[in-house]
Amino acid sequence: MSLLEPWMMLVVSMVIFGIGLLGLLIRKNLLVMLMCVELMLNGVNLSFVAFSKIHHSLDGHLAVLFVMTVAAAESAVGLGLVIALFRTLRTVDSDQIQILRD
Amino acid sequence: MMITLLVLLPLLGFFLNGFYHFSAQARKTEPSVVVAGVIGTIALFAAFALAVVAWLSLGKSGAWDVGIEERLFSWMKLGTLHVEFGYRLDRLSGIFTLVITGVGSLIHLYSIGYMENKGSARYFAYLNLFCFMMLNLVLGSSLPLVFLGWEGVGLASYLLIGFWSGEMANIMAAQKAFLMNRVGDLGLLFAMFIAFKFAGTLDLADLSSYSFKPEVATAFGLLIFLACTGKSAQIPLFTWLPDAMAGPTPVSALIHAATMVTSGIYLLARLNPVMGQSPTVLFVIAAVGAGTALMSAITACFQSDIKKVLAYSTISQLGFMFVACGVGSPETGVFHVMTHAFFKALLFLGAGSVIHALSGTQDIFKMGGLRSSLPLTFWTFTAGWAAILGLPPFSGFFSKDGILHESLVAAHGSRVIFAVLAFTAFLTAFYMTRLYILVFFGQSRLSEGVRKHVHESPIVMTLPLLFLGLAALAGGWFGAPVRFESGHHGGVGEVSPYLIMVISVFIAAAGAFLGYRKYFRSNHSEKTRDPFRVDEIYTVVFGRGTEMVASFCSRFIEEGVFQRILQFSGAAVDLGGNLFKTVQTGSAQGYLLMMVLAVVALVCGLIFGVHGYGN
Repeated sequence: MSLLEPWMMLVVSMVIFGIGLLGLLIRKNLLVMLMCVELMLNGVNLSFVAFSKIHHSLDGHLAVLFVMTVAAAESAVGLGLVIALFRTLRTVDSDQIQILRD
Repeated sequence: MMITLLVLLPLLGFFLNGFYHFSAQARKTEPSVVVAGVIGTIALFAAFALAVVAWLSLGKSGAWDVGIEERLFSWMKLGTLHVEFGYRLDRLSGIFTLVITGVGSLIHLYSIGYMENKGSARYFAYLNLFCFMMLNLVLGSSLPLVFLGWEGVGLASYLLIGFWSGEMANIMAAQKAFLMNRVGDLGLLFAMFIAFKFAGTLDLADLSSYSFKPEVATAFGLLIFLACTGKSAQIPLFTWLPDAMAGPTPVSALIHAATMVTSGIYLLARLNPVMGQSPTVLFVIAAVGAGTALMSAITACFQSDIKKVLAYSTISQLGFMFVACGVGSPETGVFHVMTHAFFKALLFLGAGSVIHALSGTQDIFKMGGLRSSLPLTFWTFTAGWAAILGLPPFSGFFSKDGILHESLVAAHGSRVIFAVLAFTAFLTAFYMTRLYILVFFGQSRLSEGVRKHVHESPIVMTLPLLFLGLAALAGGWFGAPVRFESGHHGGVGEVSPYLIMVISVFIAAAGAFLGYRKYFRSNHSEKTRDPFRVDEIYTVVFGRGTEMVASFCSRFIEEGVFQRILQFSGAAVDLGGNLFKTVQTGSAQGYLLMMVLAVVALVCGLIFGVHGYGN
């Protein structure tokens, strides 16, 4: 019995994902929300690795690499958007950015 | 191509006059009545000459099925239906053609005088159009072509009744005539459907020799008869004819006395073999004809407008012809069509001459003593009066007596119908004498202004009167020798025609004497009234009835059903919108939360297996 069982990794991944989701729902700062999205992505990555280990397959690893690449690109775009928003609206508070509703 | 040419000549006149009308309008001048009238008259007179040649070429055999046929082209080819566009002239359509073109050209000539100052090329164009359509009706070799003419004469009649469109009453009369005719036209249309469905042909010759199943023959016959009641002004569709007198008087003479209104008789005579297959149809025709004859003769006794009296008299005489068709002797009916065309056109034209002389007065109680100032009109009118009474040797004597005789002895004749017709003949003599005496005898009751302008009509008007007077006098002799053999006699057995002649002359004399006694001295004004109030009844039943149905629809169906549905659907959309609006907060995190909840719900569904969704 190994010290690090796959189900433990799954639990950790779930916790990380949960923290990310909770943060995304609760925090109002767009930057923090963006970071929470990264947290969720990484939680998912962890679960990929865990399943990969369980099933003895390399597919999970492949997916992780892919997710990391996309996440890098996504965060670059996301940050760009946040900066653009801040420049026009002078705020990064998600509650005050409701221009689509009107 | 003689018959085709004959039919097309009035059409040519129509186009020429129409072109003349528009070109005059473009030059902002009044078209000359003489030019337009001469064009129209020549077109029709040429057609008459051709008709005479065609009639003579039929030979003297006297057989009814000999005919000249001209097929022009194939009109419709739809599946099994094959309709040729062609004309056929035999004895029956020949008589009608001669009457239409002959009386028609005289009336065209008369119109040149009558429509002076108030006519135009438009009038003669319409008149020519009418003759063209009427010739299509009687010469067409198939039902669709007859229907084309049938609708065409309706249109021309509409245009001419409303010719003086300055007055609302004329327009209403034209519309009434058109609408009532539509009801009848529906019958003809449905009859054609039946003919196509059961006989598979619309050709008149084929149709006449086809034997239908009894109930189909009854339905077909009744539908044809409905069409005829519309065009020929019989119960229940006769109320348009008195109103149609709003048109110019020559129009009344041509369309509403001599030709168009007899097209019902033409159709019944043409399809007589089919009608004869159903005793029910024949009985209905005879009963309606006799009823119409009596009813309108009674009404005619209460009219004071000279043209209205003649209009009701026309309806009554048409009833006689229907009886002839109904008792199984359409030849006699057609014979009466011919003589009636002569004397009724004569009476109408005479009335027109009187109206013309009196600057538009039509009330017979404002006339009187016109015998000396309008001698030609008086003498020709006398011929017409004697003819409609049936005094020998005038034409009505032969044809009306023929119908009276046939109503008793023909295959489907009966004593009741004979009695009704005899009483109608008595009334006819009464109201015609009333009219005759009030107009031409006694003291003059003209107003001062009118009296100064009384004048005999010009030669173009009196010439047709003379010709028609001659025809009314002698027209009966055409038919007398050809008193078509009526085949097998049923009814009440043999009755001597001489006995009937004596009876009918006696009846006519009695009616005339009563009219003379009542009106020769006393001539206080009588009020026009309609003893049967048919117009009022129709207004109540159909006018109010339609209004009631309409108000029911508007109140219950429109407001109750459709408006409710629409309001409900509107309210539902409104409610839904308000409901879902609350979700639209604008907060990104709110949407996110909803998305998460939805994903959780979906996943739960997948895991716990919503049936048919999980896999």
